[in-house]
Amino acid sequence: MSHLRLVTPPASQVSSDTACLDAFQKEVDYVYRTLRRLGVSPSEVEDLTQEVFLALRGSWAAFDPGRPLRPYLFGIAFRIASAHQRKRSREVAFGIVEVGDAGPGPDDALQSKQARALVLAALERIPLPRRAVLVMHDIDDVAVSEVARVLGIPLFTVYSRLRKARRELQAALRRMLKEADGR
Amino acid sequence: MSQPPLPPEVRALLDHEREVPPLPAAVRARLLGRARAALVAGNIATPAALRTAPRLRWAAAAALVVLASAAGAAAYGLRARFAPPPSRPPIVVPAAVVAPPSTPTPAASSAPADVQPAPPHAVETPRLSPADAARAELRLLRQARAAVARQDFAAALGPIAEHTRRFRDGRLAEEREALRVKSLAGLGRTDEARRAAAAFEARFPRSVLLPAVSKMPASEP
Repeated sequence: MSHLRLVTPPASQVSSDTACLDAFQKEVDYVYRTLRRLGVSPSEVEDLTQEVFLALRGSWAAFDPGRPLRPYLFGIAFRIASAHQRKRSREVAFGIVEVGDAGPGPDDALQSKQARALVLAALERIPLPRRAVLVMHDIDDVAVSEVARVLGIPLFTVYSRLRKARRELQAALRRMLKEADGR
Repeated sequence: MSQPPLPPEVRALLDHEREVPPLPAAVRARLLGRARAALVAGNIATPAALRTAPRLRWAAAAALVVLASAAGAAAYGLRARFAPPPSRPPIVVPAAVVAPPSTPTPAASSAPADVQPAPPHAVETPRLSPADAARAELRLLRQARAAVARQDFAAALGPIAEHTRRFRDGRLAEEREALRVKSLAGLGRTDEARRAAAAFEARFPRSVLLPAVSKMPASEP
C-alpha cells in the first residue's frame, strides 16, 4: 500500500513550487556542474542533483529573491556534497577516483573536454572545504564576503582557505602535467 | 587582504571551466522529470534539512531506546513484585507491538504479555514518515542506478525488487521501472524486458523516459 496521500496543496504552495521548479530548470546545468566540481562522481551526480532540488524546494520560502540564486544553490550543493563525502568516506576506506569523465558526458569538444577534465581532476585533490571556496570565488566569481556568508565561515577563513586552495591547485596541475609528460 | 595572483595558464584553465556546459537533453529531461515527480508526490522534507542534525536524531533515538528499556524493566519488576498467585491463570493478551518507524517488526510479538490492548491504529503495519520513505526510495534507486552504470545488471535487480516490494507506487516508481527494463535488457532477458517496457508504456504513457525505455529491449545485448 502506498504511503502517499493525495492532497490538494494550497494555491500559495502551488505558486511557490512553480517558481522553485522554474528556478531549478534554469540552473540545473549549473547545479550538475557544481556537484561535479565538488567531487561527486558521474554515477551519483544525478541523484544528488535531485537532492539539491528537494532541499531547494524545502527552503524556497527562506530564499530572498533579491539575491542571486547561484550562490544559494552552491551553498545547498556544498552541504549535500559534504554529507555525501562523509558517508562515502565511511563506506570506502580509500577514495576511488572515477575516470568517468573519459566517457560520454556533457562536454563535446575534445580540447574543451580535456581542459575541463584536467580542472576537475586537479580540484579532486583539494580538500572539500577549501575547494568550495576556490570554486565559488575563482570559477563562479562570487565575492569573498558572499562566499563567507553562504558557507557560514569568517572572512579571514575564506582568505586563508583561498590562498591554500590556490597553492594546492597549482601543485596538483603541475604534478598532473608532469605525470602526463612522463608517460 | 591581498591574494597572490594565479599564474596565467591556471587562470586560463579556470576561466575555461567558468562556462557551464549544457547537459545532454536526455539527462536534463530525466532530472527535470524527477523534480516534477517530486512535486507531484506532495510535501516531503528536504534531505539537507534531515542531515542538519544527525547526531541529535541518533541521540534522540538512543534516548528513546534507553527510556523504553527502563520502562520495560520497571514494568517487569512491578509485575514480578505484584504477580498474581500461581493458581490464577495469567491474562494473556496478544501484544500489539508498535515498532519505531524505521525498524519493521512483526505486527504481533510472540511473547505473551499482559498489556493493555493497543488502540486500533497502533496495530497497523508501521509506516515510514514521508521523509524517511523518500530517503529510503532514493537510496534503493541509487544502488540500482550505480549497478546499471557499471553494467552490473544482475546486481541492479536486487534493489529494484526491494523497491517494488516496499514502494510499489512510490514516487520513484517510474524510474524504477525504467531501470528494470534496462537491467533485463542488459542481462539478455529480452522477452521479459519487452514485457516490462510494455507495462511501463501502459503505466507511464507520458513519461519523459518512454522514448528511451521503448528502445532498450532492442538496443541491449
